[in-house]
Amino acid sequence: MTDYIIQTKSLDFRFSKHKKVLDDVSLNIPKGAIYGFLGPNGAGKSTTMRLLTGILPEQQDAISLFGKPLKTQLPQVFENIGALVESPALYLHLSGYNNLKYLAELRNVPENRITEVLELVDLTRDAKRKVKQYSLGMKQRLAIAMALLSEPQLLLLDEPVNGLDPNGMRDIRQLLVKLNKEKGITIFVSSHLLAEIEKMCTHVGIISNGKLRFEGTIQELSEQSGACKVQLTLKDAAQWHEKLLADYPSVVLESNAQLSIELSDREQIPAFTKELVNRGAELYEIKVLNGLEEWFMTLIRQK
Amino acid sequence: MQNFTTALKAEHIKKKGTGLYVVAGILGVISPLIWTIVTIIQDTPNRNKLPYNYFTEFIENCLDPFATFFFPLMIIITVSRVTQLDHKNGGWQLMETQPLKKISIFFSKFSVTLIANLISIFSLIAGCFLFGYITSFILEVPENASLSFEIGSVLLIAARLFIAGLFFTALQYIISALLPSFIWSILIGFFLLLAYLFLTAFNVVPDWYPIEILGKIATYKKGSDLGYWFTYSAAVSCICTVIALYIGFEWYKHKKLKLAFGTGKRIIMLVAVLMVFGGLLFYTLTPNLMEPYNKTVIAGSIDSDIPIDKLYLRDNFINDTIAEIDVKNNKFHYVFTKDMPLDDYILNLGNLGAMSVTMAANDSTFIDIKKRKQSTKVTLTGTRLAENRYKEDNQSGWSSVNYYISENVYLDKPDFIIKELVSDWKEAMAESDKFKTVDNYVPRDDFKQKNKKVLTIRYLNLWNDFLKKRAALFPNEETKETPEIAEMKKTVPLNDEGLLSNEAYFNYVSSQITAEDTEDVSQNTKSLRAIAKLDNGDFKDKMLFNQLKQSMEDASDKKERDSLAVLYAGNFSNKRYTDIILYKKQIIEKLAKGKQAPLFDAITINNEPVNLADLQGKFVVIDVWATWCGPCKYQSPYFEKLALKYKKENIQFVAASTDDRMDDWYIEAKSKSKSVLQLHINNKKEFSKNYNAVSIPRFILIDPEGNLVNAEMPFPSDQTFEQLLRQALGLEEQK
Repeated sequence: MTDYIIQTKSLDFRFSKHKKVLDDVSLNIPKGAIYGFLGPNGAGKSTTMRLLTGILPEQQDAISLFGKPLKTQLPQVFENIGALVESPALYLHLSGYNNLKYLAELRNVPENRITEVLELVDLTRDAKRKVKQYSLGMKQRLAIAMALLSEPQLLLLDEPVNGLDPNGMRDIRQLLVKLNKEKGITIFVSSHLLAEIEKMCTHVGIISNGKLRFEGTIQELSEQSGACKVQLTLKDAAQWHEKLLADYPSVVLESNAQLSIELSDREQIPAFTKELVNRGAELYEIKVLNGLEEWFMTLIRQK
Repeated sequence: MQNFTTALKAEHIKKKGTGLYVVAGILGVISPLIWTIVTIIQDTPNRNKLPYNYFTEFIENCLDPFATFFFPLMIIITVSRVTQLDHKNGGWQLMETQPLKKISIFFSKFSVTLIANLISIFSLIAGCFLFGYITSFILEVPENASLSFEIGSVLLIAARLFIAGLFFTALQYIISALLPSFIWSILIGFFLLLAYLFLTAFNVVPDWYPIEILGKIATYKKGSDLGYWFTYSAAVSCICTVIALYIGFEWYKHKKLKLAFGTGKRIIMLVAVLMVFGGLLFYTLTPNLMEPYNKTVIAGSIDSDIPIDKLYLRDNFINDTIAEIDVKNNKFHYVFTKDMPLDDYILNLGNLGAMSVTMAANDSTFIDIKKRKQSTKVTLTGTRLAENRYKEDNQSGWSSVNYYISENVYLDKPDFIIKELVSDWKEAMAESDKFKTVDNYVPRDDFKQKNKKVLTIRYLNLWNDFLKKRAALFPNEETKETPEIAEMKKTVPLNDEGLLSNEAYFNYVSSQITAEDTEDVSQNTKSLRAIAKLDNGDFKDKMLFNQLKQSMEDASDKKERDSLAVLYAGNFSNKRYTDIILYKKQIIEKLAKGKQAPLFDAITINNEPVNLADLQGKFVVIDVWATWCGPCKYQSPYFEKLALKYKKENIQFVAASTDDRMDDWYIEAKSKSKSVLQLHINNKKEFSKNYNAVSIPRFILIDPEGNLVNAEMPFPSDQTFEQLLRQALGLEEQK
């Protein structure tokens, strides 16, 4: 049986009598996973995050962490959790170092650990500067450093790459994957952009309008997403459009050098390519279009 | 607990660079700084001659600005900043995602504010010592001031301030912790501060009002009358703090009021806390009453630089001695055997003057008297503590309607005056019930009832004055008595013997019983006629005595006094009054114009004997005074000014001292103007008797033949004094 670090059983939450913010959300985050929690703004991601951290008191006993009900473990459970909820909580009047020192005092972590995490998020040079002067990316990295400080078993990160440039995003992603691989830290990370986290997650949960629409591994996700769309760049696209239309009714002429076509699954790509080449097509490029993204959009549009 | 200390240590990392404690320290030091500047600029000589501690007094002088302004201000600022650190930076959520108990989070931050309070109080005290020390080089330190460190008193002040500040700190903390916007806590804080000013102006501040608890420290600088370390308002502060912190913490813990107190168990807990602590609060706020004693006792101790061997307790009416109290080893203890009605008695302290003591049968009164040179400090405790404190505190009886009537404003608007009169009276009635001492003792009912009558009389006399003025100014208009006035009249009976020691009551009765008499004779005559018609008895005797004494003093010649004596002196049921009146008449006549001034012996500063007879040949004007007498000192510059002005006239200005200590007199007299002959009277008792000198200052004018011109002149600060001098000297009137 799999060890689940986080489990919720039919989690409901309502702010008022009529408005249900979360409806029957059952999450299962296995140990060692990087779990991407996806959903558009206002879907209930942050509410879930705040419920998981106990910042919002839960209305039933649906949440268990490390196999035990959350309610009974507050606040000691945070000795094993690093959390970054919503906008990063940093003391702007303090230096980056003192922000970490404050947490080190609270979590009883030795001070040399502070230099370690600063190194990890590449803030060593800016440690003595006031956080007020930090850029958004630096703040985000410091917040992650704070979450990592006590080497937790579980990281809860709410939109950790929000507002970062592509480089920054990549660095954070690499860092998280590294932590997951080397230290075996389970990571629960939320985002409203699939592309942002798709590349690093092992598991995905998708929420919209307070309901969980999908939960599973990343493979299951791509299988679920069904048909595979490819984009072809070739000479005389218009001609080929007509030729192919008979066998592949889904073919679309995108421009005078590009066609897109839907195949039933990825396994058909090699045979299809062979066929094209055999029929004399001068093929420059063949690219798999992300069907996931579109499928994701349809999922989250569900009412 | 470990969790809490961790949180507290972490809070101190968090507040780095905010200067939180520095601001607390600065706001503590401002009051001593202001006081130093004020004392240096004013440079008022200290008239208090009793031994006192220089620094403790310095601190006490700083309590007014500190306790009711700078300290609460510091609390508002500190609390807001401590909580804003986390509101601004998302820190409350951050703390909740740490292995920290909510109770540790909540109370570690509260502790930071309490530490700031301590720092502020400490810097107030340190500032007082520092600035006091500096001031001691700039201004002379009085010789009776001690410069030691009075650890007990200083600690007591610090502890009282800290405890008194608890409730306000807790209240502000809860508001700032629960409401993320800083504006609310600041707004509410300043509102509480300002509202306090208004509420005190109208005297409607409840005892549990957070700033009032602090204000009590400034009002009662020495703390309890009864020597308690912990007064009832300190208890109120602690109880309110517990209630506030309980509600505030539960609210914070569960985020919403509904969640905090919505479920059955939590409601029960809340109700239990409110019942227990609310009950305690109610019990603490309930005023205490002193129980009567099984005997009537007056006792006390005297610490004085001049010997006192006897005290006299006199009644306030005919000055009859009720008790002669022996002082042995500076202590006295006297048990009364006769019944004593509730009244203000006069305790004559021999050489120290006299004091008023409110007491009745079955009261035990303790009086502690300290005297050094010109300063006397009397502390009265016992079963009538509250009553005597009330008398001390409520001397002034200013009211707007009093002003209108005496200044003849709005006399043409009787409805308005009546409305004001009634509302002022009602206010005075309500006010008289509000008095309590620092230890929450209130006057007993008998006193309250009597006091209400006394206050009502004041307003009824105003009403009578108003009626008279109306009758004179608007003879054709009727001024109607309203039901409220009738109600006032009903509270004051016209035959209450116990009220007669109050002069206002006598005037009231006199004016009531002569209201129908419209004959054109003096009020004295009308009053005598009406009193003579009263039923025989104590009440009539006392009324008659009062009126007859007054008429005797006002009578213009011997013939009139003789006729008064013939007509009325025999009308007393109690013949003692007849004797006293006739004796009074004799003294008045002895001191009448043209009678020979009683002679007395004295010495000059150069120790030469002088007799009054030696000064014959010139007019002599005498100022009878003593170094310990404040009003005398007020009058003496006016007297000296006139002495200089009339230097060349045929008049000798004399200042005759009745001091017991020659050295006191010698030092002061030497520094006085040379144009006034300084004398010290050898036999004070005989002088007082001969000149009927019940009080000083007293001014006597004698002609060159040694005969009295005026045995009781007005005070020199009054212009008529000079007019009388000029008249006697035959100078023309000044233009």
